[in-house]
Amino acid sequence: MLRLFVICAPAMFLVALSQAQDIRVPASVTAGEEATISMSGSGRASFYLVGPGVSRKSEVTLGEEIHLQAEDLRNAGEYLAVICSGTCRTTSFFVNAAKPHSLTFLVHPSRVPVAQGDAVSGVALPFDQYRNLVLAPETIDFQLTAGAAPLLSRSVRTQGGISWFRTSSGKSAGTLQVTASLNDLSTRRAVQQVASEPCNLRIKGERTATGVVVQTEPVRDCAGNAVPDGTIVSFTATVGSEKSTVDAPIKQDVARAQIVAAGPAVISAASGVVIGNEIRVGARP
Amino acid sequence: MSRVRNLTPPCPRVALAIATFALLLGSTLYSFAADPAVQVQFDAKHAGPRVVEDLTERVILRDYRFAWTSMAQALEFNTLDPLEGAFAGDARQWLRDTVVRQQQSSLNQRYANQNHKLEAVFYAPEGDVMELHDTAEYQLQISDGAKVIHDEHVVVHYVVVMTPAADRWVIRQLQAVPQF
Amino acid sequence: MKITLPIILVVLTAGLMAVALYGAGSNPSRIGIATGSAVYGLTPKSSTPQQALANLLVDVQRRNWDRAFDALSKTSAADKESFIQDWLGLNGSLRSFSNLEGFDPRPLHITNDDAQMRVRLHYATPVGPMEDVRDFHLIREGEVWKIVWPKLQLPAVPSEVIPVTYLRWDLVTGGADEQWGSKNVDAPHVRIISMNAVDSAEGAVVIGEVVNEDTIPAFVNVNATLVDGAGNAIDDESSFDKIDHILLPKQVTPYRIDFPSINLNKVKNVRMDVKATLVPASADPVIGVMNQKLDSDVQGKTVLHGDLLNQSGQTVNISHVIASFYDNNGKVVWVSDGYVDRALMPQSSEPFAVEIPRSLSAKVQSFHVVVNQYSLGRS
Repeated sequence: MLRLFVICAPAMFLVALSQAQDIRVPASVTAGEEATISMSGSGRASFYLVGPGVSRKSEVTLGEEIHLQAEDLRNAGEYLAVICSGTCRTTSFFVNAAKPHSLTFLVHPSRVPVAQGDAVSGVALPFDQYRNLVLAPETIDFQLTAGAAPLLSRSVRTQGGISWFRTSSGKSAGTLQVTASLNDLSTRRAVQQVASEPCNLRIKGERTATGVVVQTEPVRDCAGNAVPDGTIVSFTATVGSEKSTVDAPIKQDVARAQIVAAGPAVISAASGVVIGNEIRVGARP
Repeated sequence: MSRVRNLTPPCPRVALAIATFALLLGSTLYSFAADPAVQVQFDAKHAGPRVVEDLTERVILRDYRFAWTSMAQALEFNTLDPLEGAFAGDARQWLRDTVVRQQQSSLNQRYANQNHKLEAVFYAPEGDVMELHDTAEYQLQISDGAKVIHDEHVVVHYVVVMTPAADRWVIRQLQAVPQF
Repeated sequence: MKITLPIILVVLTAGLMAVALYGAGSNPSRIGIATGSAVYGLTPKSSTPQQALANLLVDVQRRNWDRAFDALSKTSAADKESFIQDWLGLNGSLRSFSNLEGFDPRPLHITNDDAQMRVRLHYATPVGPMEDVRDFHLIREGEVWKIVWPKLQLPAVPSEVIPVTYLRWDLVTGGADEQWGSKNVDAPHVRIISMNAVDSAEGAVVIGEVVNEDTIPAFVNVNATLVDGAGNAIDDESSFDKIDHILLPKQVTPYRIDFPSINLNKVKNVRMDVKATLVPASADPVIGVMNQKLDSDVQGKTVLHGDLLNQSGQTVNISHVIASFYDNNGKVVWVSDGYVDRALMPQSSEPFAVEIPRSLSAKVQSFHVVVNQYSLGRS
C-alpha cells in the first residue's frame, strides 16, 4: 500500500498541476489597449507573451490575473500566451487595429499631360496611431481640384484596408490638388498638369550679318497650353550639302537659335517626335 | 627482415561507437543547418484594377519566399541582418522590435515546413502597391533557451502589403488576422 | 674563365646598343617606323626627317620641352609657350588630361631639304585611347632636320557680358522624415523610339534613339540583353558613354551598345531596358553643330565633320559628339561618337570629326548630331 502511494503520489501531483492551468484570454483586443489574461490554478509558473514586436517572459502566480501592458499590444496580429509550470500550455488571441489616425495616400503621376484619360490615380490606406492597417471598412472621400474648378469628388469604401480612384487629367496646365479625407483626417498631394506635345510647331527666320536667326512662334499644345520652358526644340538648317543643327531650349514660350549659314538655307524644327514647318531663307547679300 | 603492420583497429567497439556518433552528429547538423525550402503558391487571377504582369508575378513569388526565409532566420537566430533587404516601413520595424525583445528574453521562434498560399487581392493602377492574402501553414516552435515551450502546426491568415523597391518587392505590412 | 663571360656580355650589349642607335635609322628604304622610343639618355642625331620627328615626339612624351623646342626650325612661327600649350592643351580641355603614348609616322614626301610627314598620335585620355593625325613639315638646316612649327591658332574671344537666362532645374530630395507616399516625384518618362541590331567588325552592335518625353531633365542609360533561341541571356551590356546621358525635355539622343565578339546569328531576341532618374541640370550652354558634312579624311576614311559652336558665355572643357546615321527609310544604321580634345571657348567654334564604317557609308542618307558636354566646376 505504501509502495503504491509512493508511486502514485508524484503522478497525481503532476496531474493536479496540469489541470490547474485553465487560461482565459479576451475575445478581441484593440491595439494600444490593456488586456488581462486570467488563469486558474495555484503555484508559480513562467508566462511568455510572443507576438508582433513583443517577446516577453515573466514569473507569475497561478490563479492571479496577468495584466498585459498597452505598449505590448500595440501591433495588430496574433499573440501567443504560454504558461509553463512543469508542462506548457498555449492560447492565442488577436489584436485588431485601433481607429484610423492617419492616411497614407499614394498619387500618381507627379506630372501628367493635360486632357489624358485615366491618367491620374490614387490609393489611400488608413492606419491607426501604431501604424497598423485598419482593415475594418471605412469611407474615404477623394477630391481633385484644379485652381478653383473641382474635377472629381468621390467617396469610396475601403476593402481590405485600401480604397482607390482613377480619373482623367484636366484641360489646363497647372497644379492639381488631390485630397483624401476620412472623417477629420485629410492628406493632400499635388500633381503638375503640364502641356502635351507641341502642336503646330511653326518657325520663322531672318537673315543677319553672321547667319540666320530662327525662332519659333509661341509653342503650345493642341489645347493652347504653353509648353514648359526648357523644352528642347531642334533647329536644322541645310545649306547645299552641309547641315547645321542647334538644340535650343524654349524660353518664355519661344525657342530661338542662331545658325551659321552663308548660302540659301532650308530650315526646319522638331521637338521630341513632333516636326514643325520648313522655311527657306535666301543667301547673304 | 620485413615487418607486417597490423592495420586492424585495436578495439572494434570503439570504432563502431565513433562511426555511430559521427552519423548522428552529421544528421543533427544537417537537420539544423538545412532549412526546408519555403513553399509559395501565388494566385494573381483576382488582382485588380491592374492586371499583374508575368514578370511581376515571378518576382513577387521570389521576393515573398525570400522575405519569409529571411524572417525565419532572423527570428530563429535572433539576428537583425536578414531583415534588411526584404522588409520596409512598419513590417521591418516590428520585426526588428521582435528580434531585439527576443534577444533580451532569450526566446526564439522557429518557422519550419512553411507553405504559403498567396493570393493578390489588389494591385494599384500604377503598380506601386499590392495587397495579398496569405494562408500560411508552418510548424511554429518557440524555445526559451534550450527548452521548447511551444511546438504546433498552425495555419495563420496574413494580410500583406508589398511595394516595389529598387530591385525587388518588399513587405511593408504583415498583419495576422482571424480570417479574410 | 671567370672574366670571359662578363667580357662577352659587355661586348654583346655594346653591339646591340650600336645596332639600335644607328642600324634602324640608316635604312632609307623602310617605310614606317614602329612606335618610337629612343634609348634614354642617348638621343641619336636628327640626320633624317624620320629621326628628327622621332626625337621631337619622344621629347614631347617625356615633357622635355627645352629639347623639344630646340628641335624646331628657326623659321617656326610659334614661341616656346604656345608650342608647349599646343601639346599640353588649354582651358581644362581633354588634351590637358591626356598623355602621348605612342606615334606612328609615315613620310608623305621627302626631298633633300624638305619633307612632309604624317603621324598618327596615340593618346591615353580619361575617356579611353584617342588617336589624332597630324602633318609635320620638316626642313634641313645644315646637317640636321628641323620641324617647322605653325603658330597656335587660339580663338579670339572678345570681352563681353553674356546674360544666362536659360532654365536650370534643381533637385530637392526632401527631409529625413519620410512618410510612405509623401515623396511624390516620379522618375522621368523616357522612351526608346528606335532600335536596330547590326553586326560589325568588332561584334554585334545595338543602336537606336531614345527621347525624354517628360517636362523635366532625365539621366538616361540604356541596357540591352541578347537572348538566344532557348531564351537564355547571351550577354548584357550598357550604352556606357555612347549616349547623351542628360536629356532635357523632348530631347532625343542616339545610343550604341557594343557586344564584342558576338555574332547576331546566335541571337534570337534583344531585350531593351531604359532607366531614367531625376537629376539637376541646366539648359545652358547651347552648342550648335555647324557645317556638318560627310566626307573623306586624309586617311581615306569616311567621316562626318563639322564645327561645334559654343553659343553660351561659359567654357565647355570637354565636348563629346554623338552622331546617328539614317538610311533612306529613316532607320538608324549606325551611331558614332568622338571627343574633341580642345576646349570650346565662349562664342567660339572647334572642328570635330566622327568616322563611319566604310561598309555603311553608301547606305547613309542623313544624320543627326548631339553634343554632350562637360564643364569643370559645374554640376
